[in-house]
Amino acid sequence: MSKERIKISEDLYDIMPSDYQDLVKSATYGKEDRGWKDIGNSKELIEQHSLCAGCPESMAFRYILASLPNPEDTVMVGSTGCTSLVFPMVAVHNIHSLFGNQNAIASGLKRALSVRFPGRTKDVVVLAGDGATVDIGLDMTLQAWFRQEKFTTICFDNELYANTGGQESGLMQKGFVAKMAPVGKLFDKVRLPEIARESGCHYVVQCTVSKPSLVEKVVRNAVMIAREIGPTYLQLYTPCILEIGKNSMEGLQEMRDSEKPTERFAYKEYVSEPAKQLLAEIAAKDKEKKAAAKQLASQGA
Amino acid sequence: MADTHSVIGTKNKKGQTFTDTWAMMNDAPRTPSFFTGSEVIKEALRRASCDVMIAYPITPQSEAAALIGELFAEGYIGDYFRGESEFAVMSQCAGAAFGGARVFTTTAGPGTMRAMENFPMWSGARLPIQMIVTCRGINSPLSIQPDTLEIAYLLNTGMLVWHAETAQDFFDWILKGYMVSEEPDVHLPLALCCDGFFVTHTKDVVNLTPADMCLPPYDPYRSPVPCMDMECPPVRMMRDPFVMKSNYISYATHASWQQEVWAAVERSRKHTIKWLNGLIETENTDAEVLIVASGTAVSQGREAIRLLEDEGIRCGLVKIKVLRPWPGEEIREATKNAKHIIVPEFNVTGWLAKEIRATIPNSERVHSGPRVCGGMTMPPEIIVSEIKTLLGMRTMSLAGRGS
Amino acid sequence: MTQYRVLPGPEHFLPPSAASMGICLPNPGEAHINGVIVPEEQAYEEAAKQFLMAKVPTLFPGPLVLWAWNEKAAKKATAIRHLYNTLKECVQPGQTPMLIPMPDYRPKYPKINPEVEINPNHPNLTIWHNKIDCCMFIGVHCHQANLSLKIIRGGTSCYTIAMCAQAGHEDAMLSFRDASVEKIMRLADAVKRLKGTVTPRLTSAKSGASN
Repeated sequence: MSKERIKISEDLYDIMPSDYQDLVKSATYGKEDRGWKDIGNSKELIEQHSLCAGCPESMAFRYILASLPNPEDTVMVGSTGCTSLVFPMVAVHNIHSLFGNQNAIASGLKRALSVRFPGRTKDVVVLAGDGATVDIGLDMTLQAWFRQEKFTTICFDNELYANTGGQESGLMQKGFVAKMAPVGKLFDKVRLPEIARESGCHYVVQCTVSKPSLVEKVVRNAVMIAREIGPTYLQLYTPCILEIGKNSMEGLQEMRDSEKPTERFAYKEYVSEPAKQLLAEIAAKDKEKKAAAKQLASQGA
Repeated sequence: MADTHSVIGTKNKKGQTFTDTWAMMNDAPRTPSFFTGSEVIKEALRRASCDVMIAYPITPQSEAAALIGELFAEGYIGDYFRGESEFAVMSQCAGAAFGGARVFTTTAGPGTMRAMENFPMWSGARLPIQMIVTCRGINSPLSIQPDTLEIAYLLNTGMLVWHAETAQDFFDWILKGYMVSEEPDVHLPLALCCDGFFVTHTKDVVNLTPADMCLPPYDPYRSPVPCMDMECPPVRMMRDPFVMKSNYISYATHASWQQEVWAAVERSRKHTIKWLNGLIETENTDAEVLIVASGTAVSQGREAIRLLEDEGIRCGLVKIKVLRPWPGEEIREATKNAKHIIVPEFNVTGWLAKEIRATIPNSERVHSGPRVCGGMTMPPEIIVSEIKTLLGMRTMSLAGRGS
Repeated sequence: MTQYRVLPGPEHFLPPSAASMGICLPNPGEAHINGVIVPEEQAYEEAAKQFLMAKVPTLFPGPLVLWAWNEKAAKKATAIRHLYNTLKECVQPGQTPMLIPMPDYRPKYPKINPEVEINPNHPNLTIWHNKIDCCMFIGVHCHQANLSLKIIRGGTSCYTIAMCAQAGHEDAMLSFRDASVEKIMRLADAVKRLKGTVTPRLTSAKSGASN
């Protein structure tokens, strides 16, 4: 939808609650260089959520929604879990259908949008937890990558099933004691980033959400590459502070501690050759634009 | 924005003319053609203006699913691919329908069962997907042979469930099915069932509508729920948010949601009666003996009635075309004169007889059977024999030759 | 033929959907009142009468008209404003017409502000809070309108009207179908025409929005 169509009927404008008026007045739909810096000076595409106080997932949500390059033409797909408690508050169309089928839903959705809107950009972004992505939905996660479906998969990795109360998941660390892992998890954390690379993803990043600028960069890259080339995958550490026994204010530190070079969430990136080329082209265009703007500004001055 | 009516009379990229469906189905000339059931599915899809078809191999629907792939290659279908399992396929169908596409798929037996979690999701999400179910055995040991047990599982999903008897039914109902299930007051998925092999793999003469006419396209903006394409309000929209906070009103919302799905099933009655000329068909319902059946069992019933006539026994017939919505009123009316109601079925549990018993007064009149399953055929003679036994007449054993 | 009638509640702990009780939707050119099919003309009169009788006659515009996503939507919004203004002009002192939006359909936690909006997951809260005894939904997607109408019938005594752009709503006490700018204007005309001929329920001891 063009930004111009996200507007309130004039004759009913005054009765709309203010958060909707704000959404039209000061959200960043259609803003080309939107990003995490808009947070605080614009209406965010996420309303109050019902996550636990201090949950890093809520930070991740805000950064991602601020960074989507084209929210007015993006449809998101979620899955069952803590994320699905946030999605009703998100101001882009989004779908929850079943637990684990998110990449199948996204495959059908992306193809339908391509059939219905040929020649137009319609980005599809999957955002689901690690249980949905790696355990119950692994088949559909991988198959979408094998088929080279053109959408981004984002996994919020909190290393357990949080919404059901802290059970063992495939992305949990070995040895961690949890519900359903009464003597500690007996096998290693599933290496999905490596599997993603081998399954045909063109852009794979594993990181935490401690730095908004980094989240912005990888989300933009992932969406642009998925749009033009093929599947992309982001695995973001969003620790469940509740289940790992931390306090509300300790989420950020937990992420900083876990992203040190020797730790399990050290920054990891894979970019395929065609994706590298695309990123270089985008960077060159950006540079050109900036130079032109600079020249224009100097001429004006 | 797409407007269904304004495109009528215009041509699609294959040169087919978008045609008013009523005129296409009722007034346009028909060409008799000798086709298998699978080929008939393909021919119906050629005329269905289908956006997305998703396939997966499982006998006995594999041939139809592959033939539709040929249609895609010819340019008649917007997109087509093979999914990784029936569970995934049905979710992919949902994704495409959420995105505003007209969607088609086919499945059978164990595939239906594997995908089952999707079906109440489809109806809860009001997705008018059409799914062909070519029924086969579902239990261990494995059987690929015709058996209608899986229909029993579909009856409570909130989907519309129709049961075709012949390839002609199939051809007409695939096209008419979209007209019913896409009505904004219905907007529900349709399970269009047939008995595998008996219908899919046998050849029959089917009267086809002209190949240069096709259905008007689906208009997703008449949907009773917002289409997920970021083209319509509200933009702050989740399909479908949880309504399960622990309080009475959330539970009441979920309850009302479920009721609304079933209300939509009810609303389909009016449209289905119009398009299929009734939910049931009847012959000689003034007879004391009545065969009530659906699917291939109807054909076997017809043959049994012919054999009984030769012996001077008059027997009527009720063909149940639509199982959801359930034609309770029609069945009560059609069976009011019957002393014996025979329900032949191709499954072990006799689900149809149970439904009929729960519908009519004096349900002891319902005789559940004969029943066969696991791929056995149902010779009309066993229906005849069952009826004669009921009437207290002598009948030969059909089981074998003795020692 | 069903004996069931769609009447103001509170009807039941969990009332049945009207469709499951055999109530059918009107055909083009028709409307229904209490589940009985009537010529559309009659429905304009009855809807206008119900508005003029009510203590708090209320319009609930939904997303399809609140958002100017196409030209038709914006025009409908103008017509709805006109209808609301007409109501204000035609009621007597003590009657308070309201115009409350249903901006979207998400369940709102921890709670909505029932003074400024209505939500399909708990529409009764808005009805109760504002003591609304007659309301009309317009521009709400049919599924969500039906949820709202059924919950309102279940737990409140509010008279419900649906101005539906598609096939209409059996769960409302009165429903139009194929809503258009013209139909909204015709309803406003009916209100104007009946001004002063209907006695409002102002003196009634029992508030319309009981329970």
